[in-house]
Amino acid sequence: MVWPYLTSSIIFGSLFGLMATGLTLTYITTKVPNFAYGSFVTIGLYTSYSMNRFSDFSPYMTTPIAFGIGGVSSVLMYLGILRPLARRGSSLVSLMIATLAIDIGFIGIFGIYADYLRYGFNMTDSLSFYQILADFRLFGEQGLLYIAPASLGLITLGLFLLLSRTKFGVAMRASVENPSLARILGINVEKVYVFAWFLAGGFAAMSGAYYTLYSGGGVATGSGLIVEIFAASILGGLSSIYGATIGGVIIGIGENLLTGGGIALLGSWVLDYQKGIPLLIMIITLLLLPRGLASLFE
Amino acid sequence: MIAVPSIIIFGIDLVKFAVDLGNAYMLFLAVSLSLNLEAGYTGIPNFGKVMFMAGGAAISAAVSGLLAVMILGVNVHGNYNAYIVTVINQVNASLAKNPVLSVELILLGTILAAAIGGFLGFLVSYPAIRLREDYLGMLLLASAQFFQIFLGAYYPLIGGTQGISVPDFFRWAGNGIGVRDVTILGFLTVFAIFVYVYSERVARSPIGRTLRAVRDNETATRALGKNDVAIRRNVIIIASAISGMAGALLTFQVASIGPGTWDRITWTFYIWVMVIIGGSGNNFGVATGALWFSFLSSGITQVQNALPSDLPIDVNWIRYLIFGALLLWILAFRPGGILPEKSSPTLARRTLSRALEEKPG
Repeated sequence: MVWPYLTSSIIFGSLFGLMATGLTLTYITTKVPNFAYGSFVTIGLYTSYSMNRFSDFSPYMTTPIAFGIGGVSSVLMYLGILRPLARRGSSLVSLMIATLAIDIGFIGIFGIYADYLRYGFNMTDSLSFYQILADFRLFGEQGLLYIAPASLGLITLGLFLLLSRTKFGVAMRASVENPSLARILGINVEKVYVFAWFLAGGFAAMSGAYYTLYSGGGVATGSGLIVEIFAASILGGLSSIYGATIGGVIIGIGENLLTGGGIALLGSWVLDYQKGIPLLIMIITLLLLPRGLASLFE
Repeated sequence: MIAVPSIIIFGIDLVKFAVDLGNAYMLFLAVSLSLNLEAGYTGIPNFGKVMFMAGGAAISAAVSGLLAVMILGVNVHGNYNAYIVTVINQVNASLAKNPVLSVELILLGTILAAAIGGFLGFLVSYPAIRLREDYLGMLLLASAQFFQIFLGAYYPLIGGTQGISVPDFFRWAGNGIGVRDVTILGFLTVFAIFVYVYSERVARSPIGRTLRAVRDNETATRALGKNDVAIRRNVIIIASAISGMAGALLTFQVASIGPGTWDRITWTFYIWVMVIIGGSGNNFGVATGALWFSFLSSGITQVQNALPSDLPIDVNWIRYLIFGALLLWILAFRPGGILPEKSSPTLARRTLSRALEEKPG
């Protein structure tokens, strides 16, 4: 009874950790909450789905390609829309509503694409699909149970090494901490930001490709995850990369274990309110610890 | 039986088109004006607009329906949600013969919706007014997302994900489309004009200038002895009460309610589109923006109806793309909207010129 919730908390903990890390990367560079971020998860979902259907690729093999497509779309969004708007002096609220507009536009594009697959290639499940069967099994468990935490671990380690051991990483930290000082030192701050947005979109799309292995996907799946992703990022402090990773893991584990425990203790109705748990964590964080977990370690 | 005349051009019934457009416009007008009060004048980024409408709509639908059944003495076997489908025709037939009761229930439902909307606004305002703009936007968006899930999950309120039928309180005005729609248009117009006059009076009064001051410089406002936290809370409560009423009126119009109606795109994003296209901080501008939006949106629906029904692509996707792109275009090239905000007159012109004349030198 408890085991499925343990599995899902490990998987979702890892995936939300990845997504929250990406969201925080976009926030610390532009200081705008990116409401379109969920759609980059959907990009990963559809990349994986299409490649699996068209040429029988395993979702794991599609992950690097999803990463690339998500990263490039994210860079295009930053260079093509957000940066020009910010340079024209748009207010914070205008930029937030712009990201909301991008999200809606993305849903439109995914919808058109899904309809195209449905009518053009007779893929009847293109608006709502599962790919659990495409996963491999190891020791009687689904492969994602090992791959998802391993990916999160590797990426966190990679980010840590990048940010602390390489010149580019140090330049990245400088550009985020104090952009004008970094510019004076000859760092190309814009290049750093573009790189951060590429990573962010890539992490989202990568989690999306993994996500279809465990749960259903559709045109608005990513947008629907935005509550969890923001909750994780805020719990981490919204401006700390490692904080976001930890926040994501806590949200993923907390949401699933509390739901599992709640169902065991109170009855199956708890399942319907699962999405309320991250929201509650978000509100409590904002009221009690507005600067998130990161402020505890300063 | 009175009938509404129809003028048909290119296969489109113009009278029906105008009435439908009017009904959509009046609701959009009221809600976008309330958002303008929050976002345009006070600078509260309400990305959870839909929650306040849905809250008002759900409560008014549940309570008015239950009251109608009780007053008319229809037997629902003590389980309203489960049996309303089977008795809905009987209830509607009785309501058709009883216009006074129907209108009373409409008014009661609408007032109740205002109370619920205001209460939700009060609840949300507690954490909300203490936060910065970006955190506030995220919190409101997340709360609205959860509220929609709650409506689907909590069966006793509006019957869970399936939704329920609501007794038709406009049945006395005629069966089906036609006269009934025109009657509803009358109700909605009165409501929208009321909201417009109220917003315009607030905007032009000293309170309106205080709201703009809170938006532009909250520290200065506080230094001048205004309680900015209380001001923001009150604005959220009033705007949410208006949204709740609009939600209730929409529910009475379509005579059914379900969580699917209350999506983020229609009742949060599109409302923002109207405010930004029209010009935030300018009530007449927002009214213009809402008109443009309603016209475009109805136009797209007409095109959709004219196209063959086995179209490979759902027209809604195109709608999302068009309005997403339109909003970005406006933000980039005309950030003030069609009619940008104007500086508000602080004093009557005569008083002002007299004051200037008295000035020595």
